[in-house]
Amino acid sequence: MEDERDSYLLLTGASSGIGKVMASILSKEYNIILNGRNEERLESTEKMCGKERKILIWTFDLNNINDIASTLSEFIEKNQIRISHFVHCAGYMKMLPLKMVTIDNISNTLNTNFISAVIIIKTLMQRKINNLAMKNIVFISSNISNMGAKALSVYGASKGALDSLMRCLAVELAPHVRVNSVLPGGVKTEMTESIYENEEVLKRMEATYPLGLGFPEDIAEAVVFLLSEKSRWITGQQITVDGGRTINVTA
Amino acid sequence: MENFEKDMAEVLEVDTVELDDELSGFDCWDSLTILSIIALADENYSVTLSAAEINDAKTIGNLKKLIISKK
Repeated sequence: MEDERDSYLLLTGASSGIGKVMASILSKEYNIILNGRNEERLESTEKMCGKERKILIWTFDLNNINDIASTLSEFIEKNQIRISHFVHCAGYMKMLPLKMVTIDNISNTLNTNFISAVIIIKTLMQRKINNLAMKNIVFISSNISNMGAKALSVYGASKGALDSLMRCLAVELAPHVRVNSVLPGGVKTEMTESIYENEEVLKRMEATYPLGLGFPEDIAEAVVFLLSEKSRWITGQQITVDGGRTINVTA
Repeated sequence: MENFEKDMAEVLEVDTVELDDELSGFDCWDSLTILSIIALADENYSVTLSAAEINDAKTIGNLKKLIISKK
């Protein structure tokens, strides 16, 4: 039987940073579900979005991994929609040297950055819930996924896990669903603001980025490409968007 | 702030600290320890510190005063 429900793009982490800018760009092309923890901030994102397409708000903290599946399937049923595209932009980052790492920090980081993505995709791939509507998945990873940095061990591991998930699902869900990651470098957002406030760090970072520091829009445009049919033969790939930071071996 | 000295001793990897101890005098004083103090101030006292502020504080006592002044 033909499914008449409208198709939506689900964007996690839509209330701030890269996600907020991404919402305003993606909402021009897709009906969009804005997910984040804080309703007020999601409403402020909604105001930045295009008016041509439909917008829904799903206020939910992805750290609550045990409730994701039931809450998401109820949301789909209540709104009588399908979800065809998923962009996982939610991210939790705390710079912690190893001696400051706690089980709580590990759980919060893995829950939001990695486990939530697995559960969301598992839910969206269920025929009874989403009727084989899924077509395309993009993860916002990080250029640390393949590299190393002080005080980012748990965050880096969570992004490495996300990219492994991306490659395996790209194989498992083909040919119906494409799965790719975008790996941003230093982009100024609320999450990283405290790092950029330090003038010394800012100078050092500017010196290591051949193309200078990036903006959330730079990341969003790569996502637009991966979601589009222009990238129809690309799956299972990490697209690094970091102004050349990780290929720069200048001493 | 009642556990401040105890938390600092843990970060600095010693049994106890005194308020007039010099920060740079601890064996493990380095950029990672400064990052640990930034994380501690954020987690326990919701205070944002910069590396420069911590270096400028010079002693445990001044660091404590700095955190109290920003609370």
